[in-house]
Amino acid sequence: MNDLTFSGWSGVTILLVYALLMLGVGVWSYLSDKKSGTNIQETMSGYYLAGKNLGLVALFFTLYATQYSGNTVVGYAASGYRMGYAWWMSVPYMIIIIGGYLLFAPRLYALAKRHEFLTPTDWLEHRFNSKAVSLLATFFMVWGLGNYLLEQLVAIGQGVQGLTAGTIPYQYAVIFFVIVMVVYEWLGGMKAVAFTDVIQGISLLVGLAVMLIGGFVLTGGHFGEVANYIATNAPEKIAVPPMKVNNQWFSMLILVGVGAAVYPHAIQRIYSAKSERILKKSLSRMAWMPLVTTGVVFAIGIISIQIFPGLDKMGSEQLVGLFANKVAGLGGFYYFMMLLLFGGIVAAVISTADSVLLSLQSMVSQDIYGRYINPGAPDTKKIKVGKIVGLIVIAFLIYIAWNPPGTLFEIFVLKFEILIQIAPAFMLGLYWKRLSKWPVFIGMLSGGALAGIMTWTGHKTIAGWYGGVIGLVLNITICVIGSYLVSMGAEEQIKNQKATAL
Amino acid sequence: MKNVKEPIKKPWIWMVMIVILVLGVPWYFPESAVYPIIFGFPLWAFVSVIMTVVLSWYLSYLCKHEWNIVEDEEERQNGEVQ
Repeated sequence: MNDLTFSGWSGVTILLVYALLMLGVGVWSYLSDKKSGTNIQETMSGYYLAGKNLGLVALFFTLYATQYSGNTVVGYAASGYRMGYAWWMSVPYMIIIIGGYLLFAPRLYALAKRHEFLTPTDWLEHRFNSKAVSLLATFFMVWGLGNYLLEQLVAIGQGVQGLTAGTIPYQYAVIFFVIVMVVYEWLGGMKAVAFTDVIQGISLLVGLAVMLIGGFVLTGGHFGEVANYIATNAPEKIAVPPMKVNNQWFSMLILVGVGAAVYPHAIQRIYSAKSERILKKSLSRMAWMPLVTTGVVFAIGIISIQIFPGLDKMGSEQLVGLFANKVAGLGGFYYFMMLLLFGGIVAAVISTADSVLLSLQSMVSQDIYGRYINPGAPDTKKIKVGKIVGLIVIAFLIYIAWNPPGTLFEIFVLKFEILIQIAPAFMLGLYWKRLSKWPVFIGMLSGGALAGIMTWTGHKTIAGWYGGVIGLVLNITICVIGSYLVSMGAEEQIKNQKATAL
Repeated sequence: MKNVKEPIKKPWIWMVMIVILVLGVPWYFPESAVYPIIFGFPLWAFVSVIMTVVLSWYLSYLCKHEWNIVEDEEERQNGEVQ
């Protein structure tokens, strides 16, 4: 992303403005809390779930900005360029996440309010009452979230370096934004995270809209001619996809639909909603957002096939930079808007990173420290421990990002594949009273192991089916067959029924 | 009488969803289905776009009309507080 017409110090300025805005939100959350007495700093639910009091605007945007990272823009445009029209799959698979929520969120929301859940593991503890299940799930979630955070930290560095054409080096960018993020998060917890997401989400949306308009101007407003160009010059990118790609398409629908809905930070957003009505409204709006987010990014990838023909894999990764550069070249308004877009991309990364960090901290506070190390600790102490461990984790991840280990690097790649393995414990556990703890434990472990082994041995997919999905199928099979084999007393069944009853 | 609606309880919801999803994946088109090109999309992708819009509409509809568990109770309480 070098030699941008709009990079350099104007990029630095826009990033500083963003940073100040986010810090301002942090200070505002802190001060308004002092006034209203919502106890952000004093109670776990105040700090980690904004007092379970998020309204429509904050909840909608925090769902939105958390779900879409900078990678959704930069990486997905490149995928669209390389894959062609088949990349449309990225739109339905982001939409079907709402279908994933509908599998469990309605009941989980009601139970979470009644039993005051704070973390995903609270639900598992409530339902299975098993140390083994709780610890394994917590381990999977912390591991998956850690890797997710690592990816975001790398993305912040690359984004900022790209935007400022190297004026701010990668390392400084990461350190600077991590400090900004930690400060506003420490000041305002989930409330600050959600309200910075409002700013971050809006800037991403506005930037994408202008980029699409710019794309139309660049192609002379003829999207149809782009298709004809592709049919003549790159027919494989417009052809009906082969069976393998279709399998991949469908398996992405399952993997993302189920996996993204049970992301720990996604689950905690269900807990944070002020009311069922607000949660429903937010999710029903979210169902439309992929059309104007990944859909726009898809269009940018497709248009670029004509505008920048012949990019290789590395070159295509620079696509958004090239595209924005060209749009900025259209003149004043576009230049300014592309500047906003790049700030928006960096903001999108940060908005994902801060949610992941907060969720990770909450698990340390509640599921590890509060449950096993010091159960009698007051909330303020638990929050403090979470903050400090969070800082140590970030320091470690920054170290890994700058000194990638030569071997076993794949350990840091596993995210979705293992996070998705907690899904059966939620989606089956909520409705099926026979589901018992040992099959859940063994299923989770086997599914995670299978997906992990496939990734490590370089078999990410088999005939287009992802390791995460194959692991999930194994996991569910073990859960179901195992639960039928394990005998469960009438008393335990009644207990389970009570635990899940509305 | 409490009017409780929970999506998981209605099999038709999920059957319709699977049909929409399956129809949205282009595995049933002949190779010639690239033409005609409609609004810049080859025929097969255009059909997929339509199904995607249907999916958004359907999920949005389900959230609003097929989900009602504690809402009545919550809104009543809210009303009392106010």
